[in-house]
Amino acid sequence: MSERFGTTNERTLKLRFHTQTAGVSLTVQQPLNNIVRVAIQALAGVLGGTQSLHTDAYDEALALPTDRAALIALRTQQIIAEETGVANTIDPLGGSYFIEALTEKMEEGALDYFRKIDAMGGMVAAIEKGFPQREIQDSAYQYQKAVERGEQVIVGVNKYAMTDEPAEVPTLVIDESVRTHQIERLEQTRTTRDSGAVANALEKLKLAAHNEENTMPATIETVRAYATLGEICSALRDVYGVYEEPAF
Amino acid sequence: MNEKKIRVLVAKPGLDGHDRGAKVIARALRDAGMEVIYTGLRQTPEMIAAAALQEDVDAVGVSILSGAHNTLCPRIVQLLHDQGMDDCLVLLGGIVPQEDIAKLKSQGIAEIFLPGTSTEDIVRFLRENVKPRE
Repeated sequence: MSERFGTTNERTLKLRFHTQTAGVSLTVQQPLNNIVRVAIQALAGVLGGTQSLHTDAYDEALALPTDRAALIALRTQQIIAEETGVANTIDPLGGSYFIEALTEKMEEGALDYFRKIDAMGGMVAAIEKGFPQREIQDSAYQYQKAVERGEQVIVGVNKYAMTDEPAEVPTLVIDESVRTHQIERLEQTRTTRDSGAVANALEKLKLAAHNEENTMPATIETVRAYATLGEICSALRDVYGVYEEPAF
Repeated sequence: MNEKKIRVLVAKPGLDGHDRGAKVIARALRDAGMEVIYTGLRQTPEMIAAAALQEDVDAVGVSILSGAHNTLCPRIVQLLHDQGMDDCLVLLGGIVPQEDIAKLKSQGIAEIFLPGTSTEDIVRFLRENVKPRE
């Protein structure tokens, strides 16, 4: 940041990042194994210095998570934070030859991408060309192929699979009442809010979007006036249109 | 023998943005020699049915990870039926609880593929179940 953009602001020099465990690694088969996967991935995030962490629930390949599964995901973070001691050191893996070498490799890979994207005229141009999307899709496809060839092992799926699996875990059932309840709340809000204020706030948001201003203050105004998420998005769609993905 | 290529619409209905699986499937079907049209995200059942008709597909592969399959799937099947596309297979992939599977199948979903399914199994299913055209 300081070399390329010449910033002197310390806050922009900080690399702050969030980590979420990998949804794609969760399996339907032998789902309790996912607790172990999440714990290892979360630990890796903490060892890498993450400031914010989301741990997936073990049943997310089966359904939306139950409270019980979500609680284990939270407890996993608390065990790492308060039982293991890894959070007592800023960089517990600093000086490890293997980790430092991998970090360097990753850094080189990132810089290589920066150069490619710069050559395309920046990230917006690269997205318009479908470059990052294609790279992500290629990587996802190669991963799937490696799984199917058995080169990428997934325990319980392509190795150590069981024909008669242990009893299923209970999953969350969401019935139609959630939908009807939300519709009722929405109707209620629509009848009690000041519809003139909503219309005004939405117009202001459109104007801000049209003039390419910061839309955040206008968005906050629409929320204060009780505009719905749908109305806010529609207002922005009116100005920006809808993004269409380039063909894969 | 020159067989007609199987045409498949891969669709993401609803507000769920998890498109990794749909794109992997789309590419696997294409690599298996099928003609694949991918709708992109946030499609309504109406948009999907219209695309299926316009593209004259043999099958629609729907990917849902949001939990909204019980609402969206019967609607897509119904719309395809209304426009005379009863021969068009509707497949579902994504996060679908075991309890929902039998009901979805009785509502006209040809097959449901859960996480961990090999892309080869999906290719085989389509080859075996798409009805040959006159």
